[in-house]
Amino acid sequence: MENRFPKYSFAKRLHSMLKVDFRRLGKSRLFYSLLACALLIPIVMTVMLTMMDGSVSVDPQTGAETVIHGPESIWQSIGTLPSGETAAPMGSMDVMAMCNINMMFMLVAVFVCLFVSDDFRSGYAKNLFTVRAKKGEYIVSKTLAGFVCGGGMLILYFVGGVLGGLICGLSADLGVLTVGNLVMCICAKVCLMLVFVSIFVLISVAAKQKAWASICGSLGGGMLLFMTVPMITPLNSTILHVLLCLAGGVLFAVGMGVAAKTVLKKTSLV
Amino acid sequence: MNAIEIKNLSKNFGPKQAVCGLDMTVPMGAIYGFIGENGSGKSTTQKMICGLIPISGGSVRLYGKDHTDEGVRARVGGLIEAPGCFPGLTVWDNMMLQAANLSIPNAEEEVIKVLKMVRMEGAAGNKFKNCSLGMKQRVGIAMALLGEPSLLVLDEPLNGLDADGMRIMREVFTDIVKDGTRSILVSSHLLGELQKVATHYGIIRHGKMIAQMTAQELDASCRTYIALKAEEMKKAKNLLGCSYSRVETDEAGFLRVYDQTTAEAVVTYLYENGVIVTEIMTDKIGLEEYYTDLMKGGK
Repeated sequence: MENRFPKYSFAKRLHSMLKVDFRRLGKSRLFYSLLACALLIPIVMTVMLTMMDGSVSVDPQTGAETVIHGPESIWQSIGTLPSGETAAPMGSMDVMAMCNINMMFMLVAVFVCLFVSDDFRSGYAKNLFTVRAKKGEYIVSKTLAGFVCGGGMLILYFVGGVLGGLICGLSADLGVLTVGNLVMCICAKVCLMLVFVSIFVLISVAAKQKAWASICGSLGGGMLLFMTVPMITPLNSTILHVLLCLAGGVLFAVGMGVAAKTVLKKTSLV
Repeated sequence: MNAIEIKNLSKNFGPKQAVCGLDMTVPMGAIYGFIGENGSGKSTTQKMICGLIPISGGSVRLYGKDHTDEGVRARVGGLIEAPGCFPGLTVWDNMMLQAANLSIPNAEEEVIKVLKMVRMEGAAGNKFKNCSLGMKQRVGIAMALLGEPSLLVLDEPLNGLDADGMRIMREVFTDIVKDGTRSILVSSHLLGELQKVATHYGIIRHGKMIAQMTAQELDASCRTYIALKAEEMKKAKNLLGCSYSRVETDEAGFLRVYDQTTAEAVVTYLYENGVIVTEIMTDKIGLEEYYTDLMKGGK
C-alpha cells in the first residue's frame, strides 16, 4: 500500500484554521467578557458623567477648580460633535472626549495577545504546527478572529452609548451630521481595527507564550497610532474615510502578516 | 522508502550544539525506540522532525519528501514533551479542535474512535485541567492518533501511565504499524517497556547517534551471562574472579559471569574448590543493561 500525501490549497488550509479559531472564540470567556465590557462601559460612563455634570473638583495643593462636564448628546460617546469648539474650555474637563469608543482599539490588544499566547502557553501550537508546514493561514486566521472581536466591541460600544444616552435622556439631535455620517464613522472605525489587530498579532506572535510582553508591547505600539484614530474616523465621516481606513487596514494586515509569518518561520514554535 | 531519513542533522542554541551531525533511518512500519540520556538531544531532534524548531544544518526527509513539505506534514501526528491542550476546555472540545485543525470529515466519529483506543471515552466531558497526569498523557496520544497519521512522533508518551495504560499503549502501537505503512518514532526512558514493542533502536549521546540497530540485532549483540548463588558468596566471587574476566554482583545478589562458558563448567569449577552452588541460571542482558554498558563505554 502506498502512502499518499495530498497538498491542500491555501483556502482549504485557511478554512480549517478558521474553524479552529472560531470554535475557540465561541468557547472563550475572555471574548464574551470583552464584548460585555464594550456594551457596559459606555452605559456606566454616560450615567456616571451625567450625574457628575457641573460638579467641581478642587486641587488640594493649588486650590484650582475644575468643572466636570457631562455629555450633552448621545453621540458624544462615539466622538466629539463638530460644533467648532475643538477643546474643552480652560478649567473644565470633558471626560467623554478622552474616554470614548476609541478605547476599544486598545482593549482589543488584550484579547489578541491572550488569544495568541494561549496557543503557545497551552502547547496547542505544537499540534497546529506539526501538521502545518505553512504558517500564512495561522496569521490570517488570528487576524480575522481579532478583527471580529474588535469589530464586535466597536458595534456594542456604539449600542451601549446609545442605550446610555437614552437612559439619561440625552439629546439625539445630530445637528449638522446625518445618519450616514454616523454609519460611515462606525464603518471606518471597524476597518481601522484591522490596522491595530494586525500590529497586535505580529507582536503577539513574536512574544509567543510571554503574554505580559505582548500586552505591554501592543499597548505601547498601539498608543503610537491611537492619537490618529479621532482624526481618521471623525463623527462626520464619509465614504472616503471608510475607503481610506479599509485600504490602510488591508495594507497593514498584509505587511504585518508577512512579517509575522517570517517570525514564525525563523523562530522556535515551542 | 524510509519513513524518516535524517542526514547530518545539527541544531545550535547560541554557542551550545544540541544536535551535531545526527544520522537516523526509520524504516516504514517500524516502531523506532529513540533512547538517550536527559539533554542528549532526543526532544530537539523530534521537534525538528515535526518542524517546530528550525534546523541549523543537515536534512530531514519524511517518506522521501523534505520535512517542510505540507503534504507529508499533514500526515504527521505528534506528542512532544506534554499534550498540547487548552486547560479550560473539556477533553472532547480539545479533541474536536484538533479534528478541525486536521479537516477530518467525520470528526465526531473519529474522536470517539481514538478516545476508545486509549480508553478515555468515559472522560470526554472532563475539563482537561482536571484530568490526572496519566489521563492527560492518554489524551495527548489520542490527539496524535487523530486522522490516522502515517508517522507518529512521540516524546516520552509512557510518562505517567499506569501498568494498564502502558499495556494499552503497547497494543495501540503494535496495531498502528501492523499494515507496514505507518511508523512510530518513540522516545522513552522506560527501556523495559520500550523493548516490548520496538522493532528498531537508535541511541543518541551528546547530540550524536552512537548506535542504530534492529531488535534482532540488539538481541544478537546482547551477551548471555550465568547468574548464580552459592553458600559462600564471597569465596565464590574470589574464585570466579581468578578464572573469568568479568564477574559482577547484580542488584538481586546473584553473581554474574559474563564470559563465554557453560553453567556446568562454572558449577564444576566451584565444587572442585569447595563451594556449593545453590541456584544457577543463564540469561541475556536486556536493553536497559545494553544501554547502560554502552553509556559506560563498554558493550
